[in-house]
Amino acid sequence: MLCLGLLCLGMAVTSAHAEAVSGQDQAITLSLATEPPSLDSMQATDQIGSFLLSHLMEGLVQYDAEGNLAPGIALRWQVREDGATFWLRKDARWSDGEPVTAHNFVFAWRRAVNPQTASQYAFILFPIKNAEAINRGELPLSDLGVRAVGDYRLEVQFERSCPYFDKLTAFMTYYPARQDIVERWGRAFAADADKMVFNGPFTLAKWVHGAHLRLEKNTRYWNREAIRLQVIDFPYITSDTTAQYNLYKDNRIALAALDAGTLNDAVKRGYEARLFDFGTLYFLEFNQRSERATHNLALRRAIQAVLEPSLLVYKVLGLPGIKPAYSLFPSGMRAYGITFSEQYPPPAIDYNIEKAREYLRQARRELGEIEPLTLLVGDSPRAVNEAEYYQYVLKQALGLETRLDQQTFKQRIAKMRRGEFDIAAAGWGPDFDDPITFGDLFASWNDNNRGRFENRRYDSWVAKAQSSADQETRLQAFDRLQHIISEQVVIIPTYENVGMYVQHPQLQGVRRSLFGGDPNFRYAWVEP
Amino acid sequence: MQFHADDFNALPAAPVEQMEALAPAPPLWRVLLADVRAVVALVVVVLLVFSAFAGPFLWSQDPARQWLSQVSSGPTTARTVAVVEDNPQWQGALVQAGQLMSVSATTTSVKLAWPAVAGAAGYRVYRAEAGEGAGLGVPLAQIEHPWYDDRLQLRERAYRYTVVPEGENELSRRATITLTPALTIGRFEAQLLDLPVHNGEVVLPAHPLGTDSLGRDMLSRVIHGARTSMLVGLTAPLLFITLGAFYGAAAGLIGGWVDNTLMRIADFVVALPFLLFMILFRVAMGIESGESGLFPMVLAMVLLSWPGAARLVRGQVLQLRGSAFVLSARMAGASNLYLIRRHLLPNVLPLLLVSLSFAIPQAIFTEALLSFIGMGVVPPTPSWGSLCNEGIRSMLTHPHELIVPAVAISIAVLAFNVLGDALSDAMDVQIRRGAQ
Repeated sequence: MLCLGLLCLGMAVTSAHAEAVSGQDQAITLSLATEPPSLDSMQATDQIGSFLLSHLMEGLVQYDAEGNLAPGIALRWQVREDGATFWLRKDARWSDGEPVTAHNFVFAWRRAVNPQTASQYAFILFPIKNAEAINRGELPLSDLGVRAVGDYRLEVQFERSCPYFDKLTAFMTYYPARQDIVERWGRAFAADADKMVFNGPFTLAKWVHGAHLRLEKNTRYWNREAIRLQVIDFPYITSDTTAQYNLYKDNRIALAALDAGTLNDAVKRGYEARLFDFGTLYFLEFNQRSERATHNLALRRAIQAVLEPSLLVYKVLGLPGIKPAYSLFPSGMRAYGITFSEQYPPPAIDYNIEKAREYLRQARRELGEIEPLTLLVGDSPRAVNEAEYYQYVLKQALGLETRLDQQTFKQRIAKMRRGEFDIAAAGWGPDFDDPITFGDLFASWNDNNRGRFENRRYDSWVAKAQSSADQETRLQAFDRLQHIISEQVVIIPTYENVGMYVQHPQLQGVRRSLFGGDPNFRYAWVEP
Repeated sequence: MQFHADDFNALPAAPVEQMEALAPAPPLWRVLLADVRAVVALVVVVLLVFSAFAGPFLWSQDPARQWLSQVSSGPTTARTVAVVEDNPQWQGALVQAGQLMSVSATTTSVKLAWPAVAGAAGYRVYRAEAGEGAGLGVPLAQIEHPWYDDRLQLRERAYRYTVVPEGENELSRRATITLTPALTIGRFEAQLLDLPVHNGEVVLPAHPLGTDSLGRDMLSRVIHGARTSMLVGLTAPLLFITLGAFYGAAAGLIGGWVDNTLMRIADFVVALPFLLFMILFRVAMGIESGESGLFPMVLAMVLLSWPGAARLVRGQVLQLRGSAFVLSARMAGASNLYLIRRHLLPNVLPLLLVSLSFAIPQAIFTEALLSFIGMGVVPPTPSWGSLCNEGIRSMLTHPHELIVPAVAISIAVLAFNVLGDALSDAMDVQIRRGAQ
């Protein structure tokens, strides 16, 4: 055991000296912010997991080099009012040589909605007939509205009309899975590199927990000719952006995010700083469980009236490109060819300290004395700065005491799930190319609704947006949703993370995208 | 053995100086005052302790108050600035440079506009500090409309804005303008700070050491940080050295199997790891992330650091107990209490003083270290360690936020160490001269 440990250490040290890019080997080195909590595609919920899985796996459809929807495992497909049919390609293989068949999809989707799997993303399969009932444990797995006709045709029946179903199948919870592999490893499935198989352009060659991950080109991938990178190495795992930037400066990694601290240095050194729109919304979420003070609407309104996002964004965060957020839907989000926020402007909020104090007096009358609020935040330098700003504003403007609970990503998600917070700083990136990816977040049945907000009006508008195929009806519904969020103060949108990064000049073809894992190196290459 | 005739002769008379050397040793404070470095160190220590406890009354700025329009600024003097609307209208004096125009630029908002460029897919707006080289600088935005409202951490300095229309001939169609925004404060922020407004203007106070990344006054934070650091740095050593002294004295005085047992226990305590126990105390007390960890820190220090002092005192007591003057006093019928008061305490005290002066900087350091890694104070309470931790976030751009608290720690630790050194040297002189 000790020998094994030493061996791993030795390997990590040698590979740590690799260059950022190698044109000869078509290899690149990158760093990861944190280790993925899970690489089980049916259970993963986080950005790191989605990023890795988008390179390791492939769903029925995928995104091409320009970011358009393109055939993946499915050669062609048809989405109808009551269902969809996918015709699968016959040359798709798993990394162990087995063919990728329609049965793999049936198995994966059944497992994802299985209540025993307890997947938080099960809801994304709810357009499929009976999925929701199965997830509640009311129907057997075999009743799921998906079946394989032969090995290469997949028939899907819908619970209700779902005009965007093909976009959904590019999402990781829809990836196929192998029954034999999942059953062989049981709970340990996808916990190590050798306990999973891949059907995407890369395979996971190494996973030293907390230290090192390494992707290598999948030689059995059906579209292997289009993949030029041979190796993507992650020998560094650190959420400290300064450390990442220093690694970039030392030519150790090929891409690094910039923050307020490192940006000036990058500009001074003449690096070409790039801007891209994450489409991610950051917000403060209130815990609405009845035992919490934040269950009280007047208290939430008081807090909403003093947290002006533009002060936070322009003075505290100070990172170019980041925009203050005022709505559940990011300002750049497009739907049906229009920019949603231009047609349906976000609800106006009156930022007024006097009014906030009035709300607070009301809240005190209803609640009595208010205990210090627990503010659950991340542990990155930016998150801590941000949290100290909230703490100061609540104290200065309202006299509210707060306790900062700084946790690692994994721990923060776990605590949010258990409801151990009053206010939590959270973020949400779009999963697929439709506003409903934000809209259904606070539906009462959604597992990611960590604050347990329940509102019948909200639920009915979500249902309407999910089932209607009519453009006008859906846009109206989304507009209602953003107003309910603001009136009920379910969340306080804070900012939209438009990030900055530097990229090695030899590294080309990296797609920064809202969908299908970001950044995407599938079609990237190294200029010699 | 062979004797020489000289051996039986009287020794020559001793010189006067040697006779003086036999006089009683001078008091400790006089030896200390003759030492320049000791005096300097003493003055610094007194100043530090004084500023830690009286400083907040002399410099009354709230260390938690965030002057958001002045984040990460260098030293500033008090200023009177205008309060402007957070989202000002397009009015005021027009500034034009080629294609670009702007109206009365302030640090709250700089509005830029330019005529739409035919065929441009969009515009990229860059901002550089004038005189910072030819680079475009920081990319502010990628937009489709021909205007932009820059509000990003504006300071009172000259900026060069560049607008690049996307599409063909990007280079030749660039337009630049250089502006210097006037220092202002937004209405909402002024309200938040509760500043009295006179004629649309407010007074921003001076920040002699600048501000940190959240606009908090550095001087006030360092003073309040000193408070935390001194509190831990003085309390813990005082407690554990007192505890150790009593323990060691008991062992030395009683002796025998009691001494043996007590000293084995001390050996055992020496082997306990500090960090582990501190974390254990935290857990046992139910202190979660976000609650101050100072109490378990002091507790762990007191419970684990006393054996050093105990050994020192025991050794001294054993030595004194066997010495001739104690034995003769005992034979003369002196009680234990008298012995302790008259002989043991005066001889042990200077020793304790020396170890105290070495233990204090160590405790200050430990507190700084633990606050640095987030196990000590919690925001917004400052301590020198947590200030360093905050400073490290902006080390590259605003090094003063790290340097100021780091220098404070260094000076404090150095002063206490030099004082300790001087004390032990002075003791040496005393002992040497006393023993002759």
